[in-house]
Amino acid sequence: MADEAYREWLAGLDAESRRRQQAFLDALAAKLGRPRVTEPPPHPFRGAPDFWKEYELSPEERIERFIANFRASGGHAFRVSGLAEAARFIADKALELGVPAVIRQDEPVLAGLGLESLLPGVEVRVWNEDPAEDWIARAAGAGMGVVLADFAVAHTASIVTLSARGKGRSVSLLPPALAAVIPAGRLFTRLGEVLSRFDETGREGLPAGVHFISGPSRSADIENDLTIGVHGPGIVYALIVDA
Amino acid sequence: MSGSETAAKTVKERAKEALRNDFLRQAVRFTTDRLRNARLQAAGEQGNWEAWRERGRQIRSHTIAHLDYYLNRFAENARANGAHVHFAESAEEAVRIVLAIAERKGARMVAKSKSMVTEELHLNRALENIGVKPVETDLGEYIVQLAGETPSHLIIPSIHKNRRQTADLLSKEAGEELPTDTPALAAFVRRRMREVFLAADIGMTGCNFAIAETGSIVVFENEGNARMVSTLPKTQITLMGMERIIPTWADLEVMATLLPRSATGQRLTVYMSGISGPRRPGDGDGPEELHIVIVDNGRSLQLGDPEFQELLNCIRCGACLNVCPVYRHIGGHAYGGTYTGPIGAVLKPAFRKNVAEWDDVADASSLCGACAEACPVKIPLHDMLVALRRRKVEAGRAKRPEALAMRAYAAVMGSAGRLKGALRLGRLAVKPIARDGFIRARIGPLAGWTRHRVFPAPAAEPFRERWTGLRLELEREPAAMDPAVRRRLEEALRRRQAEKREGGDERHGG
Ligand code: SF4
Repeated sequence: MADEAYREWLAGLDAESRRRQQAFLDALAAKLGRPRVTEPPPHPFRGAPDFWKEYELSPEERIERFIANFRASGGHAFRVSGLAEAARFIADKALELGVPAVIRQDEPVLAGLGLESLLPGVEVRVWNEDPAEDWIARAAGAGMGVVLADFAVAHTASIVTLSARGKGRSVSLLPPALAAVIPAGRLFTRLGEVLSRFDETGREGLPAGVHFISGPSRSADIENDLTIGVHGPGIVYALIVDA
Repeated sequence: MSGSETAAKTVKERAKEALRNDFLRQAVRFTTDRLRNARLQAAGEQGNWEAWRERGRQIRSHTIAHLDYYLNRFAENARANGAHVHFAESAEEAVRIVLAIAERKGARMVAKSKSMVTEELHLNRALENIGVKPVETDLGEYIVQLAGETPSHLIIPSIHKNRRQTADLLSKEAGEELPTDTPALAAFVRRRMREVFLAADIGMTGCNFAIAETGSIVVFENEGNARMVSTLPKTQITLMGMERIIPTWADLEVMATLLPRSATGQRLTVYMSGISGPRRPGDGDGPEELHIVIVDNGRSLQLGDPEFQELLNCIRCGACLNVCPVYRHIGGHAYGGTYTGPIGAVLKPAFRKNVAEWDDVADASSLCGACAEACPVKIPLHDMLVALRRRKVEAGRAKRPEALAMRAYAAVMGSAGRLKGALRLGRLAVKPIARDGFIRARIGPLAGWTRHRVFPAPAAEPFRERWTGLRLELEREPAAMDPAVRRRLEEALRRRQAEKREGGDERHGG
């Protein structure tokens, strides 16, 4: 009942917004001294300058650059020879940190790590595997989140994760430590290589959340003193896996 | 800090205040130096910085010149993503929309991440008035909120607070004495904010950029609190200045190259999040309902104004604050508005199309032109400052205050020779950048100093108190400043002339 009334109210608000939109935009056009522009205007300056679009690092250089820049941002970055080594690394860190629980994205590659058997005393949960559970609470209670990077960028040392049913945004956000597995083939040189894909996929292809993560959560708001992990994970491991 | 409570103070109180100001001045200098050096280093490391700035300017100017088209695209695409889009012409209207949503939702608490637009709307006060608790979750904003103050720097809002003051504020919240070391204070905030994120009915964010072609909003941040408030609460409201638009994700690369480097010298902020609509069916987190409120509130007054349209290019990086000798001396609160520094000095009168809001701080800011040189999207802030002063003089002439101001100026300075300087200022107002602009410009603010009697402004009192010090400082350092400032002015002049000759750019095009 109340829900129904709310939805009706919201629909009214949307209708009002559409009416206002025309007046609002007409007023902008009038101030700009011309009729409304309704056709796509030519946009000759789209994206980065041309010289930058030609900038490309070799696969080896990309890995080196990512590792150096990620470390400079206060993160931990390593190159590992395969998934087995990545799994051992993550398990060792989880034990070292003494985490009670690990939460990971629902990704076949991450299932292949076999963290459950490597961490017998630790609860390993898979995001959203049972819709009845409170997954935000699960992520908040976990000591480490494990994600598979959808993309990565060497120049800015960024890990990119896209949200989906099995890939909650909370996994890379709520636990105090984060481990990201980055297949070397997904590591690009420039930010624009990843961003322009979203133009190509277009609106329909985009998930609700696209997240670029470039190190541990930080703040300098108390007397310029660098604080790590004030809200998001303070410890971030980036593992580049040779495919 | 922001009061005008000068009377009825004991010497002891005033001395204490002076000490505090001393801290303020040192802290502001230290921080702005740090940010400025970081910017220069990051720009150097990126390379071809001028080409990036030029591309940034082109993209911003193009978008603003076609703002009606891109805003329409954005709104349609955001709706297709499932978001509710609202248009607010005025601050009152934006507030009305937000309060209506909060009331309908029966909201008790709103968890906010950094948003200058909400500061501009005084949204926190409005929420409190209807019994909704707004909580600032950015560490610096939280400190400022606990102190009952406003942010004094675009990037480091609590720049004016020292460790002891911060510890006192947080201890009061904690109900126990907290240690003053940063990790302990941050740990308290982390714990406290976790409760807020999970309990809040509404998450509220600002918006750095909005992508027209996909209806996405993009938020840059370092702490992760903006991600929290856009991931955990059931309802998200995003306040967006209507000029935040860029056409495509490809254009975001340019903004992402310019903004973090100019703000803090980072290659990228720790988090850059692109949010396209509410959670998708099956998603386990993200808001169920997303509202985007697009705010005008005086912005559109710049459209079609050849001298001020580029003001809407601003990406709120704070670089102009960090290089401004006036900001560095007096800090943010003396500006008496939401936005501070050179950009704030221009925005305040421009957003209300009211040159009477042009106050002494702004006059003083027209000194040197360092702001325009630092700006990553090449906004000619210095030209705008001078243009505003010219408009105020023009507006004032009808009512004879300029002559009055000059007499007052002469009286204060007590010298006929200085009066000539003031007359020269009159010429400066008409021909802003002359070859000897620096000499004239340095005299300008002194005349401006007398104007508070003609046009009282809230910031006039604290600024006047600090003005003497600023003047002394400038007079003490002329040798060090002269060549740099002169070079800057000459370069600016050459650049402007060259651009005019080239033509064909989209500066004010449409
Ligand atoms: S005016 Fe330029 S330098 Fe100042 S905040 Fe805006 S973009 Fe940054």
